[in-house]
Amino acid sequence: MVKTIELRVYGMTCDDCVLHVKTGLLGASGVKDAEVSLKDGTALVHADDTVKPETLLSLDVFRGKYKAQLRSVKNE
Amino acid sequence: MNEYDLAIIGWGAAGFAAAIKASELTNNEMKIALIGHGNLGGTCVNVGCVPSKYLIEASKVYKNLKNPLYAGISGDGSLNFQEFMESLRNFVSDERTIKYENVIKNFKNVDLINGSAYFKNNNTVYVNDTEIRATNFIIATGSRPLIPDIMGLNNNYYTSDNIWTIKDLPEKIAILGSGEVAIELAYAFSSFGSEVHIFNRSNRILKNFDDDITSELIKSLKENHINFHLGSKIFKINDSGSGETSIQTEDGIYKGFSHILVATGRIPNIDSLNLDKAGIMYKNGIIVDNHLKTTNDIVYAAGDCVDQPIKLETLAGKQGVTAVNNILGGNESINLHEVPWAVFCEPNVASIGYTEKELRDKNIKYRTRIIGLKNVVKANILKNNSGLAKIIADDENKILGIHVLAPNAAEFIIEGVYIIKNKLTYNDLINSMHIFPTVSESIKICGQSFIRDVSKMSCCMD
Repeated sequence: MVKTIELRVYGMTCDDCVLHVKTGLLGASGVKDAEVSLKDGTALVHADDTVKPETLLSLDVFRGKYKAQLRSVKNE
Repeated sequence: MNEYDLAIIGWGAAGFAAAIKASELTNNEMKIALIGHGNLGGTCVNVGCVPSKYLIEASKVYKNLKNPLYAGISGDGSLNFQEFMESLRNFVSDERTIKYENVIKNFKNVDLINGSAYFKNNNTVYVNDTEIRATNFIIATGSRPLIPDIMGLNNNYYTSDNIWTIKDLPEKIAILGSGEVAIELAYAFSSFGSEVHIFNRSNRILKNFDDDITSELIKSLKENHINFHLGSKIFKINDSGSGETSIQTEDGIYKGFSHILVATGRIPNIDSLNLDKAGIMYKNGIIVDNHLKTTNDIVYAAGDCVDQPIKLETLAGKQGVTAVNNILGGNESINLHEVPWAVFCEPNVASIGYTEKELRDKNIKYRTRIIGLKNVVKANILKNNSGLAKIIADDENKILGIHVLAPNAAEFIIEGVYIIKNKLTYNDLINSMHIFPTVSESIKICGQSFIRDVSKMSCCMD
């Protein structure tokens, strides 16, 4: 089963930031896809059911300039 | 319905620290509701640490003017208490303006919402009939004075919330309780010249400290003309109708009090939050895990409203910051044994780490050394040498606790914080040079007492 994890992402200011965050999310084990929005400051992460949503917040990409907050988790 | 990334309930030390940290970490992008009522800043700046320390420091100055410590020096020592209290209230107002009201204006992402919040469900609160939904919540509602159930104790007493409104110096004040607030205010009023009586049900003071510290402190406080009625159960408070109050205990009746101050502890402000609606468990405060998360996954709690043994402004601020870090992916916790603690009477009591009682309860082996302050030259210069320093260490010389009764101890206990936090030994302490002459040397000399007879030691010896 796949679930959609919505993150609020802080610190993004340009398209490079979006790419950086997306790359960081896609590098995480179990993550299938990620839609990152600069306008909304969000990321929709499609991931295996085994992925613990909280673990995404502590990915390397969120340890510096960018920060993430867990908004919601929905089963697809 | 208003929606926020973070709603913080309570705008005291914990709430403010959380709001500012969350703003810093998110470049002020996080939309925050900071909900509260009463003066900004909560207990500490308005009715806690700030006015009490102002009162204490002024009382010391007055006492020393009336009773000069050094030969050949004398002073007038007159007191206009009304004028002094007005200056205290102005100082509090200024500090609140500078440290809270002006500070929060820098954060446009933070909405101040005046009102009481209570939960509608697991992710929504009501404030003034408006619904506020948030991704995360931090409850930081603080605590208030506990009023014991005593016959006749009814609108005829002060607490640390309103003692700051008095205009005249209490002629004779009864203080119920023997914790930090009771001891500090007893010291201040007795130094100003009030007749002070402390009544307490148990026969101890400052229950978090070991007996050797508190028994020495009681001696000092008695020399400051404080009367102790410990192990004394109060049956009844009687108002004479002429402005005087009497206290009936099992030992007899004590008459003629102009003021009663209740300082018997504090209770968390959680009654009106409707915590059950949000699935948040509580007992003697809100129950949290090591990361300050409540039993509701999106709700954290920080400060005095948490079910924990320590109620302290510095801890509240640290917990507010820690909660925010954890909401943003952190994995932080706070070791309560690394939290320093001080009582600002004279001499100060300051403490870090384990007490002997805690170690005995945990069945941990330890060794203790105590030195009297007469071994500390600066304490002798200050003519304030009735205290002591105590260090507790384990079998491998690692320091487990430092407890000091000394002038300025609250200022230098930070040395102990670094020692405990970094798991240092008394050899590390001895090998660290201290300034001579300072009262902080008391900690080093106490460390040296593990390896030698300090009475056979000259000044500045390593």
